[in-house]
Amino acid sequence: MPRLAMLLALALPFAASAADYTVQPAGSTLGFSDTFQGEAFNGHFDRWTAAISYDAANLASSKFDVDVDLASAKTGDNDRDHALPGTDFFDVAKFPKAHFVTTGFRQNGAQVIADGKLTLRGVSRPVSLQVTFKPQGSGATLDVAGSVKRLDFGVGGGDYADTSVIGADVKITAHLQLAPR
Amino acid sequence: MSLRSNDRQWGSVAKFFHWVIALAILGNGTFGLLMDLAHSPMQKINWLALHKSIGLSVLALVLLRVVWRWRDGRPREESAPRWQQWAARGVHGALYVLIVALPLSGWWFNSVTGKPLQWFKQFNLPALAAKNDDLSHFAHGVHEYLFWFLLLVLVAHVGAALKHHVFDNDNVLRRMLPFSRLRDEPAQKGES
Repeated sequence: MPRLAMLLALALPFAASAADYTVQPAGSTLGFSDTFQGEAFNGHFDRWTAAISYDAANLASSKFDVDVDLASAKTGDNDRDHALPGTDFFDVAKFPKAHFVTTGFRQNGAQVIADGKLTLRGVSRPVSLQVTFKPQGSGATLDVAGSVKRLDFGVGGGDYADTSVIGADVKITAHLQLAPR
Repeated sequence: MSLRSNDRQWGSVAKFFHWVIALAILGNGTFGLLMDLAHSPMQKINWLALHKSIGLSVLALVLLRVVWRWRDGRPREESAPRWQQWAARGVHGALYVLIVALPLSGWWFNSVTGKPLQWFKQFNLPALAAKNDDLSHFAHGVHEYLFWFLLLVLVAHVGAALKHHVFDNDNVLRRMLPFSRLRDEPAQKGES
């Protein structure tokens, strides 16, 4: 693998640590989508913070650390937005924030995967995200996509556990506009 | 009993449409008025889904019924004063319009409220209008008052049918009843 060795040799001097970025709130979104009665709906969180360290050539030192204010979820439907913070769903009175932190990155073909741990509603579970990082001037854009099973975290349990009404899989997507720290 | 209507009585297809739609509308209307008895939000979601599915079925049935009625024809009108014949036509016309308008208004109410519309969890139907929270309350009123208005017209319809049955002793009700035998034709009273 002489080519890989050369790449590593080139990368190593710069690999001391991945670059730290700050998220530019304008142009950055953290969204989710699911289905209700057979129809897709999209939601997003208005308030969240993310500490991003990333270097495509040094994934080992890269890290995402994200805090989400669950009370800031909006889906464009009054009934739903009223229900989401309640005890049946996010239960924000007891668990105001969700937290995601990466535990490692790996390369899957051309795709970078971030493995991490999502803590939501008092439950921690491994979650993997597809990472698309594009340097842009001195900053970058970062897109991630993944999927979680809402019932793994007890989101919409009890009466609401019927996945023929509320879909089991919640897609997570985020688009981050990053500036160098 | 034949599928098609003849000169004297309604066929079994026409009877089927008449009674199934009547039961579905009265049942679903009552069900709709009782929605607030649901003891959890999810139960209400499921009840509403059922109410909408039944309403969509009524809409489909009434469209089929109109097509059938147009192909099938109808028994000849019983002799009656001209004003009664016109009143019967008016009431029947109003009933057809209301039976179509009632589910359509529900569909519209559902659309402006921005809710999905699914038929018995099988497939989804598109919205009739864009989501508009300002219209939602009004659309709900239209949907509910159309039902009250339908009941009002129904009182005239049922009242007239019973009047024919009990006081006139004719076949107006019997020819639409399932499994009923017609009375012997009374002597023609002549054109009135």
